[in-house]
Amino acid sequence: MIRQKNSSLWEFRESPAPKVRHKFILLVLVIAGLISIVQLADWWFRAGNIGNIYMFILLSFCFWFGIVRMMLGWMNYLFLKKPPHIDPPEGLSVAIFTTSSPGEPLSMFEKTLAACREIRYPHTTYLLDDTRDPAFREVAEKNGAVWMELVGIPGAKAGKINKALQYTKEDFILVLDPDHIPFPEFLDHTLGYFKDEKVGFVQVSQAYYNQYRSFTAKAAAEQTYGFYGPTQMGLFGLGGSVAIGANCTFRRKALESIGGHGIGLAEDLITSIRIHGAGWKSVYNPVIVSRGLVPEDFGSFCKQQLKWARGVFEMTFSELPRLFFKLSFWQKISYFTIGTYYLVGFSACIFTLIPFLFFLSGILPATMSFADFLIRGSFVAFFGILIYLYMQKWLCHPQRERGLHWRGSIMKYACWPVYFLGFLLSVVNADIPYIPTAKKAVTGNFTPFGRPLIFQCILFLFSFIIIYIKRRFFVPEGELVLSAEKVWGMMGFAFLSFIMAAMGVYAAIESQRLNVKEPWEKVDLNLFRRKKNGQENT
Amino acid sequence: MGRKTHRILIIILAFAAAIAVILILSFIGGKSRGPLEGLLSDAGAVVTNVESKVIIRQRSYKRADDLKWLRAYIRDIALLKHPRVILLGAYDNQTTENFESINDFEDSLHMELPLIHIYTAWGSKPEQQFPEKQVKAIIEMGSIPVITWEPWLSSFDSKEWTQLRKPEVRDKNGMTDVARGKYDRYIQQWAMDAKRMNYPIFLRVGHEMNDPYRYPWGPQNNSAKDFKAAWRHIYNVFKTVGAGNIIWIWSPHPAYGYFDAYYPGKDYVDYVGVGILNYGNVASWSKWWTFDEIFGNHYKELSKYKKPIIITEFGCLNAGGNRSRWFQDALKQLPLRYPSVKSIIFFHYSADHTTTQQTLNWYIKDDSCTMNSINRQIRLWPDSVKP
Repeated sequence: MIRQKNSSLWEFRESPAPKVRHKFILLVLVIAGLISIVQLADWWFRAGNIGNIYMFILLSFCFWFGIVRMMLGWMNYLFLKKPPHIDPPEGLSVAIFTTSSPGEPLSMFEKTLAACREIRYPHTTYLLDDTRDPAFREVAEKNGAVWMELVGIPGAKAGKINKALQYTKEDFILVLDPDHIPFPEFLDHTLGYFKDEKVGFVQVSQAYYNQYRSFTAKAAAEQTYGFYGPTQMGLFGLGGSVAIGANCTFRRKALESIGGHGIGLAEDLITSIRIHGAGWKSVYNPVIVSRGLVPEDFGSFCKQQLKWARGVFEMTFSELPRLFFKLSFWQKISYFTIGTYYLVGFSACIFTLIPFLFFLSGILPATMSFADFLIRGSFVAFFGILIYLYMQKWLCHPQRERGLHWRGSIMKYACWPVYFLGFLLSVVNADIPYIPTAKKAVTGNFTPFGRPLIFQCILFLFSFIIIYIKRRFFVPEGELVLSAEKVWGMMGFAFLSFIMAAMGVYAAIESQRLNVKEPWEKVDLNLFRRKKNGQENT
Repeated sequence: MGRKTHRILIIILAFAAAIAVILILSFIGGKSRGPLEGLLSDAGAVVTNVESKVIIRQRSYKRADDLKWLRAYIRDIALLKHPRVILLGAYDNQTTENFESINDFEDSLHMELPLIHIYTAWGSKPEQQFPEKQVKAIIEMGSIPVITWEPWLSSFDSKEWTQLRKPEVRDKNGMTDVARGKYDRYIQQWAMDAKRMNYPIFLRVGHEMNDPYRYPWGPQNNSAKDFKAAWRHIYNVFKTVGAGNIIWIWSPHPAYGYFDAYYPGKDYVDYVGVGILNYGNVASWSKWWTFDEIFGNHYKELSKYKKPIIITEFGCLNAGGNRSRWFQDALKQLPLRYPSVKSIIFFHYSADHTTTQQTLNWYIKDDSCTMNSINRQIRLWPDSVKP
């Protein structure tokens, strides 16, 4: 039974193409949502609502920044587009680049390289290796891949790719993350789009096969489902789908026109914005033609997120201003929106601190009644959720990916210290060392990323006890009644972020007890062969 | 049909559908106090109630314990309408966060005050609705609330109150509109909220209605007849709602006369209220007047209605005379000299700029000389008017 369930992961999946009637329903929801937002804004921005003016500005900024992002997301959905399938012409010369670094498990490369060999469209697989471990060469050669030793090249993965570009001649290069196991039909769903001479790269969906392993893995996967479904499809509709994550097929000329693959913590995104800046088009095909790994333990997840947050801000600060006028209108907006995604760390920080600031000093950012806010906000929330659920029609694998994605949202807020750190590092332009995302769960010790969350939980419990004691013994009766709603309302607010932090701590504790496994061991490539044979028989 | 027209048609249709969806939703939850809002304000009340159960009832000292004698009055509103004792009270302007300032004042009086006075205005803003929190707080403290309820008609939001005239012209004959029921939605809600307290509340509506200079509900905008009609209408709305816990204070300005013209009738009034404030020499129009000059000269006129008299504002500035002496003279044998006076509320306002250009300080708690004479005189009163 379980086997069967897992086997369904290894089938080709795709989002449906949107129809006019879908767009119509979506338009209705978006307009209704926008009207609700206007009503909310009309009520929010009133002089009478201002408590402490500085805090009100800060709170308004965080809150409305989130709302504006949501609106931009809705606008993006309206341009949802799926490229029609184009069969690739015969005879293209194609390379697959995958990189190996010291410490990465050999067995994973056995699986990935074996799967690369199964890819039907004729191609050459290259293993760009700096492990200095002869076993990697053996594995590459056993699987018909070209082994290329590239030791001591700065720029990590991107540096090796650029060097390899010099040694190879293929017109199209698929850059494959080594933890991603490609399906045999992979290239059949990307190469066709290069018929259009202006297309610089073709990105496909990024999907996973280990998300069931832990809370962290589920949460991490949930955070990406929407992006690799409707979000990227909308970006494609607007002419700005981005290369992000793994599995991007590039045109060599496009890479060469920008002087090679971008280097940095968000190297894919940097490459993407540069290629767009150089005037190339991009295609996003919402198909699942490979599956890879998502971080299973909390520490690795946070490391990955820190790396991305820092990298994405880097793109925003250094690439976006430089290329700004070379991008199309919607590309500017898309890159800006993506580039400021991790400001969520800043907002969540403010939201987390507001109740504690109130407990300490009695400062309230706003004087509006909480009930009023809930009533007016509920319309926006209602349409927000409705649109979110409606858009799940365009997930790449709805049967497995549908849902409220609450784990993803909780982790997004629980990890605010990580994103906040990423933001601060970017502001002062400080480096974080390149940390490769762990392929296997890192277990045992409690991750240092969990410490701020434990601190937050203790702070909450401590505040709760102090406030209870204060009110039980010291606050006069008259004040109790006058302040009950305010104080316990704020406590409720703090409790929400406490729950998030506590779930984060749970994820971190669960990570300590994870079975270290090599998830790729269980992947059976014969599934692909059988399927292929079956198809041939019919 | 061209693709462009097709597209425009779809967009127009989508707009129409979206507006329809919004209208339906607004209809479900949009009344002036929708079901959701009611639910949420109930949730707020639950928090307060739970806390009062979990925390206040557990405490060893409660202010209410010192006011045990008042419980008989609280239980029996008829008793409150004709009290044996003189009910003392205070208003303090620094009570937005807590009632500590009242407690401080009480400390210098060495007693707990049975009445606490607050002011609130008519209008559509949240803070212009029934002051539930303050009333609950006063109840929790064991006192009885006195509310001065000021009909500032212009502060109703025109967007929500479309049937009203423009705010600039709304005060002219405003009392006629009140009497005709144009504000009933507001009055009813207020009355229902007050009723829900299930606790006596002194209510002083449209005070100093005979003063032609001060408030918009005065004679410059309304005839005495219209004021009376408005009063009776408000009274009837409360009666219809079943708010029997209200004690009605009719409160003219002592200096401007025409009391009979403004008196709504014995069935509509429980107390006659009067503000007695000595401004000393702070303004051109004021001079140092004694209590007997301000109040005594009008006592006969005011007591002829055979209602207990409540001095709703009792205060003296420290400018142009001897304040300690003023209070001493005012309170000396007061129950014998003015037997109708059944309640006195100290006006304790630290920064009053409602009447003159300057900020006036009515605080007396730190003036030990004044406090001494007040304490002495009150304690010399006959036991029959003391709890």
